[in-house]
Amino acid sequence: MKRRRTWWALQGLIVGAALVCVTAAFAETVYVQARTAQLRSGKTSLDPVVANLRYGDQLEVVKKEGNWLQVKTEGGAQGWIYTGKTSKTKPGGGDSGLAQLGRSMRGSEASAVTASAGARGLDKVSEGYANRAGISPKDRDTVDRMTAYQIPDQEVEEFLKEGGLGEYAK
Amino acid sequence: MRSKISTVLGLLAFVAALGGCAEVQRAAEDAARQSGNERLAGVIRGTGTLVAGLLPIGYEEESSIGQAIALQVVARYGGVVEDPALTRYVNLVGRAVANTCDRPDIPYRFAILNHESINAFAAPAGYIFVTRGLLKQVRNEAELAAVLGHEIAHVTEKHILQVIQRSKQIAGVTEAGLAYANQNPAAFKNLIDGAVKKLLDEGLDQSKEIEADQLGDVFAARVGYDPLAYVTLLTRLRDLKGDDRAFFKTHPNFSSRIEAVRKTIQTEGLKTNGVLLADRFAKWSKRI
Repeated sequence: MKRRRTWWALQGLIVGAALVCVTAAFAETVYVQARTAQLRSGKTSLDPVVANLRYGDQLEVVKKEGNWLQVKTEGGAQGWIYTGKTSKTKPGGGDSGLAQLGRSMRGSEASAVTASAGARGLDKVSEGYANRAGISPKDRDTVDRMTAYQIPDQEVEEFLKEGGLGEYAK
Repeated sequence: MRSKISTVLGLLAFVAALGGCAEVQRAAEDAARQSGNERLAGVIRGTGTLVAGLLPIGYEEESSIGQAIALQVVARYGGVVEDPALTRYVNLVGRAVANTCDRPDIPYRFAILNHESINAFAAPAGYIFVTRGLLKQVRNEAELAAVLGHEIAHVTEKHILQVIQRSKQIAGVTEAGLAYANQNPAAFKNLIDGAVKKLLDEGLDQSKEIEADQLGDVFAARVGYDPLAYVTLLTRLRDLKGDDRAFFKTHPNFSSRIEAVRKTIQTEGLKTNGVLLADRFAKWSKRI
């Protein structure tokens, strides 16, 4: 009797371990590979947004259906994301680790430019270049306006929707 | 005793520089200065600058370089088309593609050069230009998306920055970029002028152009545009201009580009049932 109980316990353990292994083998991690991404309650662009995700966020894949992935965020939220907004490899970001390292060592020179980077117009270095290269005020103004040019994310989203692009594909 | 302190501080600074610990490096520099050894402080600072100069270019520096190159592109190509609505449309198509490219976290801006030649350019940090002449050859939004995708790929892969990095190494410039530009503006101008010559006159390496074609089409397909649209556009341009390298001196010939794009569509398994959006494009084409 005792031996039989041990046998069942052992069986249970093996099945449990196998289940864990199988789950682990299927647990796939993806990353948000988009400037903006929405986690939705269903697998269409019409479903309500559950959460807004950020570039580089790590997601655990629950299942795949068509062009959509059901995922779980690190914070525990669950929902659907359009496959085209994910990547299997972790995004490197705007700067590689090495570039960040280089910047951190450049110290104050870099931070002076960082302070002006958010402002409209050419920065100090390119302004200096424009003076030396004899660039006309009109051409400076063109690059100045180009630097300041912005279209809100929401308007880009509307444009995608209108064209049936990305997750709005018909 | 003093030489022992110097050795320790020097070693500390070198290790800190290699390890990227700016605070430790600065502390060593301060310690040297306080001990009255201004020369050693200079050496410690130099060590950090030297190592930093060999590292990849960061975004702030990339932005300065991008602006300087953009100034030259605008100046050489006679300015941009001043049509805010058309410019907005080109920017929307560009942003649609850039949003899910391999480097979506930097700003991308698009402008139309008021020039009849058929070309497009990308300066670092997301400054992208397409000529009026090239836009006139485009028949639908998917073709435009692929053209902009090609230029976005030059930015994501940092092709021009690689040219600048190489020039810096050849010139023996080991100082960090922005410090270098501020202290030696004449040399910075030489670097930029060299990159502009490569971009506008000589052309990038053919392998980089092919890579941008392939990756750009992947970016366009990722957002749902038909990747075959790019093959159609390249074929139209080949029919128009032939494979004469003298005409299209800044890019490889069309036949090899078409072949490379076709291969990518196949190997990457890109879906060829995407949208063309010819009607939406047609609303704008008469303004080009």
